[in-house]
Amino acid sequence: MIGKLEQDQRVRLDWLQIIAVLGLLAVGAAFIHSATATNEVFASRPWFRQPFFLHIVYGLVGLAAATVVCMADYRWLARWSLVAYWACMLLLLGVFVVGKEVYGARRWIDFGPVQIQPSEFAKIGFIFMMANFLSRPLDELRQPGVFWKAIGLMLLPFLLILKEPDLGSALLFLPVGLVMLWSAGAPQKWLIKLVGGGVVLITLLLVDILFAPPSWRFKLEDYQRRRLLVYFGMNFAANAPEAERARLRREQRAHSYNVEQALISVGSGGWLGKGWGQGQQITLGYLPRAVAHNDFIFSVIAEEKGFLGSFIVISLYSVVLFTGIRNAAQARDRLGRLLAAGVVTLLFSQIFINIGMNIRIMPVTGVPLPLLSSGGSSVLCSLIAMGLLQNIHLYRRNY
Amino acid sequence: MLIFDQLKKNDPQMRTLTVVVLAGMIVLLAGLWYVQVVASRRFVEDQRAQAYRTVRIPADRGKILDRNGVALADNTANYRISLYLEELPRLFKEEWRRIRPSHPLKRDERIALESIARYRVASNLCFRLSQIVGQPISLSGEEFKKHYQAQLALPLPLINQLTPQQVARFQEQPIIPPGLDLDVQPRRFYLYGTTAAHLLGYLHRDNQSREGEEADYDFRLPDYSGKVGVESAFNETLSGRAGMKSVLVNNLGYRQSESTWVEAEPGTNVVLTIDLSIQRAAERGLQAALNNTRGAVVVMDCRDGDILALASAPSFDPNRFVPRISHEDWAVLTDAKLRPQINRAIQENYAPGSIFKIITAMACLESGLDPNQIMYNPGYIRVDRRRPIGDTAPPGDYDFKRAFILSSNTYFISNGLRAGVDRILEISRALHLGERAGIPLPGQEVPGSLPKPGEKPVEWREGDTANLCIGQGFLDVTPLQMAVMTAAIANGGKVLWPRLVDKLVPQDPLMAGQAWVYERARVRGTLPVSQRTLGIIRDAMRADVEEGGTGKAARIPGYTISGKTGTAQVTDPRGRVVDHTTWFASFAPFEDPRYVVLVMVESGVSGGNTCAPIAREIFEAIRKRDAGFTLSSAQGDSGVHGRRHP
Repeated sequence: MIGKLEQDQRVRLDWLQIIAVLGLLAVGAAFIHSATATNEVFASRPWFRQPFFLHIVYGLVGLAAATVVCMADYRWLARWSLVAYWACMLLLLGVFVVGKEVYGARRWIDFGPVQIQPSEFAKIGFIFMMANFLSRPLDELRQPGVFWKAIGLMLLPFLLILKEPDLGSALLFLPVGLVMLWSAGAPQKWLIKLVGGGVVLITLLLVDILFAPPSWRFKLEDYQRRRLLVYFGMNFAANAPEAERARLRREQRAHSYNVEQALISVGSGGWLGKGWGQGQQITLGYLPRAVAHNDFIFSVIAEEKGFLGSFIVISLYSVVLFTGIRNAAQARDRLGRLLAAGVVTLLFSQIFINIGMNIRIMPVTGVPLPLLSSGGSSVLCSLIAMGLLQNIHLYRRNY
Repeated sequence: MLIFDQLKKNDPQMRTLTVVVLAGMIVLLAGLWYVQVVASRRFVEDQRAQAYRTVRIPADRGKILDRNGVALADNTANYRISLYLEELPRLFKEEWRRIRPSHPLKRDERIALESIARYRVASNLCFRLSQIVGQPISLSGEEFKKHYQAQLALPLPLINQLTPQQVARFQEQPIIPPGLDLDVQPRRFYLYGTTAAHLLGYLHRDNQSREGEEADYDFRLPDYSGKVGVESAFNETLSGRAGMKSVLVNNLGYRQSESTWVEAEPGTNVVLTIDLSIQRAAERGLQAALNNTRGAVVVMDCRDGDILALASAPSFDPNRFVPRISHEDWAVLTDAKLRPQINRAIQENYAPGSIFKIITAMACLESGLDPNQIMYNPGYIRVDRRRPIGDTAPPGDYDFKRAFILSSNTYFISNGLRAGVDRILEISRALHLGERAGIPLPGQEVPGSLPKPGEKPVEWREGDTANLCIGQGFLDVTPLQMAVMTAAIANGGKVLWPRLVDKLVPQDPLMAGQAWVYERARVRGTLPVSQRTLGIIRDAMRADVEEGGTGKAARIPGYTISGKTGTAQVTDPRGRVVDHTTWFASFAPFEDPRYVVLVMVESGVSGGNTCAPIAREIFEAIRKRDAGFTLSSAQGDSGVHGRRHP
């Protein structure tokens, strides 16, 4: 394995991608620092336990993990995909047993010094499993049994994570799974039917949630329903008595608060921003401090560095995504191609949902921004995914 | 190129994926460009609206000075200690941890308990402060809550008007309790209390924006505006332009920092023509005359119309209105009989009584009366077959001078009837009786009234003219109008506009050159009377004081005063005499008339008894002042001299 690497002395790594990834990590650490500098909870900690430093540590750990991932041919790694997938599913189940409850949701498992978020690892496990499962001859993919098995592999983590509840993370599995199915060459008719059916179902669900009388409604977590209502700008108590309406309106304001503040952060940044560490939305606490350094890290960058900063971040992500697609296109086999497509779709979905949420074109969901948001599991898994892309690049087809 | 690598190859799926990702990134960039570049201003304003609070800072109010630059209304420092709430959240939190129960609370209960914790912290600090300054300080829960909810970004004043000892004790504390700090606020102060109170007026709390100022403020610091008097009439001038400061607040509303956006422009000083020493003498004189004197004094410079004193009794203390007046004080102010708020010198109508005989005398002399002609006075006079009008002057033979100094009704009625009502009214109109004298205190001056013989519902009779001749009947004047009349006699027939405000001077000494000076000696008209007539009247007035007339009580040896007394009857609607208004109109010195002193006292005994002595006191004060001036100017000269030649 290692000998093989040494055989080809040429620098075969995708350096452009690596530089973009390192750039994103550095930007992440810098602005996590700026987002938490005035946070009393973090400021009282020693420097080596502050989020920006932890981000660097996780980044280094992640880079190490990525290197390890690169050591072995991805085809060899793929043999372990079944194990990885089911281990992740076990962890997801474990969340319900030993999970730590935060804000009414069980998303973390506490391992003493570190807490992990199994849903992040499940994403990698799922991509591995899916790629391995789908990299079979095309004829087999045309069998309904295989097709539905693949759908089942996708729905299992989706439902488990939905139950946590974490709608945002759960939803990510759908585009990733579908794109992988489609890239693998599954019959397009079926996919179109599936997606079409899904869209109709979701539309019906939304109509039901938004307009139907309470007894007819699909059971959704209260906060999810409210978030949706807020996103669609609806008064969620049209027929309630005045006092009740006032209370709900207050609640609605509280719920739309984060988005509004994020939007003010982004918008007030202007062309060049207010400068690093100068963001008023954070220093004055309008952008809630609990989310500024993770889900809303982008709004911090946008406020302090303006459109220029946004543009640079988008450009770095674009480099990562397009090199990822190139990796997929250049992969030596379908397994590599599917793995890369899955990783690219996963990253793209997260980026689009998270940044879209900051400018109000997407609803608020707790999806972290890969490599920028503070959070060990997310950084680690994103870097493992990047390692995977490098791995595919290393063992790519020779021209 | 990165992107086109895939597009070139025959790989439809990756090509589609590329297009989708590219489209997604372009959508994000377009959205960001819209939010950050196109619509940025809106969000900047949103941010400003949520993070900045504007505070109106009232300007330093201009002073009101007397003609010599002595401050009548000034600003003093009000030392106060305020609670700066933004320094307390940690204490609030600690207190809340201490008092919270172990079981979980509902939202409402928690909010209520947090509010209690905050109040406990504040009232503890209050207690510590009261121990430091040695004075109990109370802070009610309601007060604190109201401030916390409505004005969190502003400090909460706990104690006002600290004594110098208290300030020292507070500052000498080794550790000042958290959140407490000393600051200074200007406070209006009327140095001489009741002196010239009617002229100065008083302030009332008014935080509103003045015209031409920013109208939208989140908070306003306490400000005042004038209610009556000069404070009200010159409110715009005195109050200057308020400044604006902005307070940056965090998401909880606590103050983070503040900066001044617009400096307040201090108000302009108003310099009056009043002379403090004369004004005080006038008020002393009035006060000493009777128990609870109701009266007025006008002292005027007959050469240029400057009002040197404009006193009205009883007076009030305008300091009582700052910060707000108590109920007891208000009850005194609204007493129906004393009516201390009325400026009796200009705001009340009176019958002039015998001092009006000055006008009657002018009419008679102008229509050919020989002052030396002797006339017999039987002690009464009957006109129109009405009941006879009595004469306070004894029966006997009278020439003009004797009739004037003994104020004979018979003489002036019979000669006045001969001169005719039109003549009398012509001179009255030349003196602008029945019109306002243009004192710049809107709403505080009444015009008085003159009879209009042609327009009276009932026919004008001889008896009405007879009444007019002795200053009774359909005639109302103000003491100021009588002072203007006396001045016209003294200065040779010039009817002057009285001048109350000398100039407006900016407070900044560098800008003092830009003072606005009101025109001096504005002549409103001339008396249609010969100098001979005026000379005869001046001489008769001199005789009234100097030669044992009714005004002899005003006499000062070595200083020739000329005067005329008056005692007007006040009748009820049925015509019965219920009271007297007593007058003394005078000027001095006779040889070179300069000062007009007009005294009016309600319910006095008689003009000679009640008012003339007051006038004498005032003239004495004037003499003393003039002597002092010569002395001090002499000293000033020698001082300059000394510096030149050390």
